[in-house]
Amino acid sequence: MKRVVTGNYAAAYGAKVCKPDVVAAYPITPQTFIVEHISEFVNDGEMDTQFVRMDSEHSAMSACVSASATGVRTFTATASQGLALMHEILFIASAQRLPVVMPVVNRTVAGPIGIWVEYNDTMPQRDTGWLQVYVEDNQEVLDMTIQAFKIAEDHDVLLPMMVNLDAFILSHTVEPVDLIEQEEVDRFLPPYDPIANLLPETPMAVGTFSPPEYIQEVRYQTDVAMRKAEAVIERVNREFAEQFGRDYHGMLEEYRTDDADVILVTLGTVTSTARAVVDRMREAGKKVGIVKLRFFRPYPLEQIREIASRVDAIGFYDRSVSYGVGGPSYIEGRHALYGYTIPVMNFLAGIGGRDVMSEDVELMFDMLLKAAKEGKAEKDIVWIGTRGVNP
Amino acid sequence: MYEIRFHGRGGQGAVMAAQSLAAAAFREGYYALAFPHFGAERRGAPVLAFARIAEGKIYEKTRVYHPNYVVVLDPVLPELVNVQDGLVEGGMAILNSPLQPDEVQLERSTDTATVDATTVALETLGSPITNSAILGAFAKATGLLKIESVEQGIIDIFGPRIGMDKAERNAKAAAAAYERTTTGTCTGGRSYEASKMWLPDIDELPIGMSTPKTQTDAGLVGIGSFVENHTGSWRTFVPNVDPEKCINCQMCWFYCPDAAVDRGEEVIGFNLDYCKGCGICANVCPVDAIEMRR
Repeated sequence: MKRVVTGNYAAAYGAKVCKPDVVAAYPITPQTFIVEHISEFVNDGEMDTQFVRMDSEHSAMSACVSASATGVRTFTATASQGLALMHEILFIASAQRLPVVMPVVNRTVAGPIGIWVEYNDTMPQRDTGWLQVYVEDNQEVLDMTIQAFKIAEDHDVLLPMMVNLDAFILSHTVEPVDLIEQEEVDRFLPPYDPIANLLPETPMAVGTFSPPEYIQEVRYQTDVAMRKAEAVIERVNREFAEQFGRDYHGMLEEYRTDDADVILVTLGTVTSTARAVVDRMREAGKKVGIVKLRFFRPYPLEQIREIASRVDAIGFYDRSVSYGVGGPSYIEGRHALYGYTIPVMNFLAGIGGRDVMSEDVELMFDMLLKAAKEGKAEKDIVWIGTRGVNP
Repeated sequence: MYEIRFHGRGGQGAVMAAQSLAAAAFREGYYALAFPHFGAERRGAPVLAFARIAEGKIYEKTRVYHPNYVVVLDPVLPELVNVQDGLVEGGMAILNSPLQPDEVQLERSTDTATVDATTVALETLGSPITNSAILGAFAKATGLLKIESVEQGIIDIFGPRIGMDKAERNAKAAAAAYERTTTGTCTGGRSYEASKMWLPDIDELPIGMSTPKTQTDAGLVGIGSFVENHTGSWRTFVPNVDPEKCINCQMCWFYCPDAAVDRGEEVIGFNLDYCKGCGICANVCPVDAIEMRR
């Protein structure tokens, strides 16, 4: 059934139909509506879950870790400073291999204080052992919330997962979403089958103090699980596409890249704007294409290498910056493309929630085309739309 | 470069001994460093500390695996732990022991020095903390550092932490131990059980380290493993209760950090499998019914 809903509603609805046993959460703009919708579902008897209102995000994630350790399906949501406050416990969820699912509404982390979209909340969490997917529209918010449980709970993975959606551009924007019926979700998503339940009848040592004799092996195991997640993501995507007819192409999606001279690697909602720009530029005879980078963890290293081998220049769009180095997506891309001689560029735009306009994306493609033609970029890292700075 | 390994028990001050030795060496113009091996340390648990002394800057940041000297603060440890592990050819063991060097049996026969540091410490400090006394033995046995430097090193490290009065008494303990140290050769032939530790490969390590009670070659691990892992051997003092005085108020049961006090019908008892001999029970007893004995 299609309805016009916000991204926040889509995330909350996704949680509802996945029937988590525990939701422990704390509100924060622009995520608040996700947990408010869930509390309404619970209040109205539409959702049978233990909804726990916590005193902070640190506590919320701690409660999720504890609940998940008892072998039940667990959900929460947060944004920005809230995610920063959870930081410490994010590591614990992944090290204990607890498949908590959490939409993160991407919002600027202060300072300066802002509530608009920026990826400086989730990008710094890339090394916490959580899977990260960045989505483009509200349908994808819902579909990936559902897929997230299936991916995270897979026994080859058993890692927590973030579903990242842009503040306001998705969270507070209404658009038509196919709200999948409960029976359909039940057919898609099997019950959570935990490998270890911390229960009175099955006591175990969990989260113990571990000397150096053990921690390196734990890290290796987690690294293997993150690498294995790639195949699970592709499989779950295929299963979802077969059942629901929506194919997100797993780790990344290519758009009009077949004969492209240059490619822009995008993240989040900028992808949508870029699709329209690509269509227009194609009509004008410019061979441009985009790669929608969906998963940042695990990272599609081999696919990026393969795609780059087909083009004359590649650019990475970033909505946050690692000071003095470049955007995180660019850093990862440069790492993937070690040994490649084509120009690899970084476009920083939309920081702090500034609108990324069609003209901005067009400028990125034009700069890529120029670099492709000349065999090198005039400069690698380009700030777009920054007052007093020439791109 | 000289490498030194200290063996002690949590609370005996092995780390401060290593630091004082480094400070003493520094006073004599050497470059020196001292560092602990941080483990799951508790009062009474076997612990290690390390020191290095050299003419120039020391770059090695690893633990000491091939010491020139091993210094043992606890008289019982050499029976349980092979303190000579990795000791270099020509190296020396410096032991807190009431025995003469040739009466001591270790894994192999090496240069050995002994001093009854516990008695020295009880006489000088009024407590069995042997970290300062054993350094006097080190100075005497090795000749590497002058006893005056060792005394000053102790004051440098102990002074700011426990006050100058106590630091000076610790320096005196070192001087007293210096006079009573004898050197010789120990006998060899003591065999030690290979230390057992559960070291699972990545395929055996439980996912997420969620470990139920599991029997392994190294013994029980996971929840409830302390049923097998007795820790009473860490003890120097044993609590003794006078049943005539005990009023069974169970203050000791309440305060014991290791739950090693048994509640009895008439008087309390002790579970010596886990009692570390910390003496808290004797301290809190309102009728002085508990006495700590060596």
